[in-house]
Amino acid sequence: MLEFDGLSKSFGDNHVLDGVGFTVAPGSMFGFVGSNGAGKTTTMRIAMGLVRADAGEVRWQGRPLDQETRRRVGYMPEERGLYPKMRVGEQVTYFARLHGLGAAEATRASEEWVDRLGLGERRGDQVEKLSLGNQQRVQLAAALVSRPEVLILDEPFSGLDPIGVDSLAAALLDQCRQGVPVVFSSHQLELVERLCDSVGILARGRMVAAGTVEELRRRDSERLLRVVVPDAVPHWAGELSGVRVVSERAGDTLLELADGADDQAVLTAALRTGRVAHFAWQQPTLVELFREAVATPTPQEVAA
Amino acid sequence: MTGPRPLGSAALVRLIASRESSARLRDKNFIISSIVIIVLLVGTLGLQVVLNSGSDTTRVGVVGDPALEVAIQAQGKALDVDVTVKALDDEDAARAAIEDDDVDGVLIAEEGQQPELLVEQSAGGSLQAIVQGAVAQLSLSEQLASVGISALEVPAVSVTALDPQADQDGQRVVVAIIGIGVLYGLLILFGQFVAQGVVEEKASRVVELLLATMRPWQLLAGKVVGLGLLGLAQIVVITVVGVTGALAFDLVDIPGDLVGTAVGVVAWFVLGYAFYASIFAAAASLVSRQEDLGTVVMPTTLVLVVAFVIGIQAASDPSGTLAVVTSYIPGVSPLVMPVRQAAGDVAVWEIALSVVLMLVAIGLIVRLGGRIYAGALLRTSGKTKIRDALRAERA
Repeated sequence: MLEFDGLSKSFGDNHVLDGVGFTVAPGSMFGFVGSNGAGKTTTMRIAMGLVRADAGEVRWQGRPLDQETRRRVGYMPEERGLYPKMRVGEQVTYFARLHGLGAAEATRASEEWVDRLGLGERRGDQVEKLSLGNQQRVQLAAALVSRPEVLILDEPFSGLDPIGVDSLAAALLDQCRQGVPVVFSSHQLELVERLCDSVGILARGRMVAAGTVEELRRRDSERLLRVVVPDAVPHWAGELSGVRVVSERAGDTLLELADGADDQAVLTAALRTGRVAHFAWQQPTLVELFREAVATPTPQEVAA
Repeated sequence: MTGPRPLGSAALVRLIASRESSARLRDKNFIISSIVIIVLLVGTLGLQVVLNSGSDTTRVGVVGDPALEVAIQAQGKALDVDVTVKALDDEDAARAAIEDDDVDGVLIAEEGQQPELLVEQSAGGSLQAIVQGAVAQLSLSEQLASVGISALEVPAVSVTALDPQADQDGQRVVVAIIGIGVLYGLLILFGQFVAQGVVEEKASRVVELLLATMRPWQLLAGKVVGLGLLGLAQIVVITVVGVTGALAFDLVDIPGDLVGTAVGVVAWFVLGYAFYASIFAAAASLVSRQEDLGTVVMPTTLVLVVAFVIGIQAASDPSGTLAVVTSYIPGVSPLVMPVRQAAGDVAVWEIALSVVLMLVAIGLIVRLGGRIYAGALLRTSGKTKIRDALRAERA
C-alpha cells in the first residue's frame, strides 16, 4: 500500500496542506484532482522529499519513504526538467543509473524505453532539439526506465495531443497491470474518470472527497432525478413532497429529492401528465462532483 | 537482470562527477579554450627557442699556427661566447668548410702572410672580435718574446658577486608568474563552469528530478569533484607540456626549481579550486537564469582579479608587506604564495600556516555554501536572498 497520512504544511501563514491523507493499493490508479493552488503539487513533493511536511508522512509497504526507497519511485515533476544539452538516450540512461541500475542494465533499459515511447530515431539528439511533446516522452521515459515500484506523476497529461494522451494512458495502465500503484494529478477530469480506480478531490489543502468514482457518485446520486415529460404543464412537480425542482425546460425536468422522498410517487405524478419519455437517476460526471466538492466549504472550514 | 541496487554516496557522487566531466569534454567552448591554452604555451616555448638560438656557438676554422686555436678559445671565454675551433689543412679546405656550413669563418694565418678571415657573407660581431683578439694577443706575445720578455706579470682581478643567483631568481619569478597566470585563468574558467552548471540545472528544472534521488550535498560534491578533476587534468597537462618543453629546449638554468614551482602551482590549484568552486556554486544557486549569473558571481570574480594583481605585484617585491600579509589570506593566498615560494624567501612554517588557513576557510565555505545551495536550489522563481536560503534549509 502507498499511504499518504495526515500531511500538513504551511509556508509562513499560508496553510497549504491540512491533514491530507489517502491510500493507493498496488495495481490501482489514483487520480488527484483539485483547483490550482489546492496543494496537489505540494503533496507530491512531500512524497519525493523535496518539501518537508510539518506533520504526517508518506509510507510505502508500511515504511516511511526515505532517500533509499524513493529511488524506487518514478517521478514526473510538474515543471518538466531535463538536461537540455544532453542526448536523449544518454539522459535516460543517466536517470536509470541514478535510480540504482548498473551501467549495462541502464543502457539496455534506456534503449528499450526510448524505443517503446517512439523516440528510437531521436536517441542521439539533444533534448532541446525535440518538440515539447517528445520532450515529455523523454520525461516519462526517465520516470519509467528504472522499473519503479511506485509512480507519482504531477500533471503527466498536460501539453500532450490526443494521441500522446492515449499512448501515455496505455503506458500507465500497463504499469498498473504489473502491480505498480500510480498516483497522478490532472485537470482533465474525463480522463481521470476513465482511467482511475479511485479519485481524491483536494480543495484548499483538504481532501474533500476520496474514493472510487462510483462511491463518489453514490454519495451524490439518489438525489438528482431527470424526468422528461413532453406533455406536462409547467410546474407539474412543484407540489410533490420532498422534491425540489432544479430546472425545467419544455418538460425536461431535473428534480432534487430530499432523503426519504419517494421516487415512485414522482413517477406516478409524471405518468399522470401523459407520456414519460425519460425517467432516470442523474449520474453526475466527475466534473459535476468536482464543482460541487470544491464549491462547498466543509463544516470545519466554515468553523476555521 | 540484477535490478536496481541501493546506491551509496560515493557511487552517486562518482556518477554525477562523470556526467559533469563528460558533458564538459563535449563542450565546444571547453575544447577550444583548452586548445588555445596549449597552442599559446607551445608558441611561447617556440618563441623562446627562436630568440635564444641567436646566441649559439661560433664556429671558427683555423689554417696555420696551432697556437691560434688556443688563443681563439681563450678569447671566446673572455667575451662569454661559446667557440669551437676546427683545424683545417689549407685554403681550399677552408672554402669547402664554409660552403658546407661546417664553420662560420676561417682564419688563414700562414707563416709570413697577413692573417685573413674568410667568411661566407659577413663576419658576425663576435666572430670578428674573437679572431681579431686572438691574432692580436698571439702577435703581441710573439713580439714580446722576440725582445726577450717571455712572461708578463699581470695582476688577476678577483670577482665578488653580490647576488650570484640574481639571474636564477629572475627565472624563478618568471616561472611563478606564468604559473599563477595559468592558475588564475583556470580558476576563473572552472569556477564559471561550476556556476553555469548549477544555473543550468535550476533553469531547466531538472534539479527537482535530481533531488528526488539524491541530497543537495551529493549533487554539489559530484559537480565540484567532476569539474575539479577535469581542471586538475588540464593544469597537469599544461604544466607537463610547459616544463617538459622548457627542459627539452634548455630554456631554464634551474630545472629543479622549475619542477618545484610547477608542483606548487598544481597543489595551490587544488586548494584554490575547492575554495572558489564552493563560492561560485552557492552564488549561482541563488539565481534561476543564466542572464542573472553575472551579477551574483561578480564579487567573487573581482576577488580573484585582485588576488591575481597582488600576485603579479608580489613578483617584483616578494618580501614586501603586501605580499607577505596577503599570502596568508585565504582565497588570495593561492595566487600570492606560489610567487613568494618561487622567489625562495619563504620558511616552511609560513607555507604550512597559509595552507592550514586555506583549509579552514574551505571547510567553512563548503558548509555555509552547501547550506545556501541546498536552501536555494528548489526556489526556481527569480533571485533568492542568502538569508532566505539559509532559513529554508533549516526548516
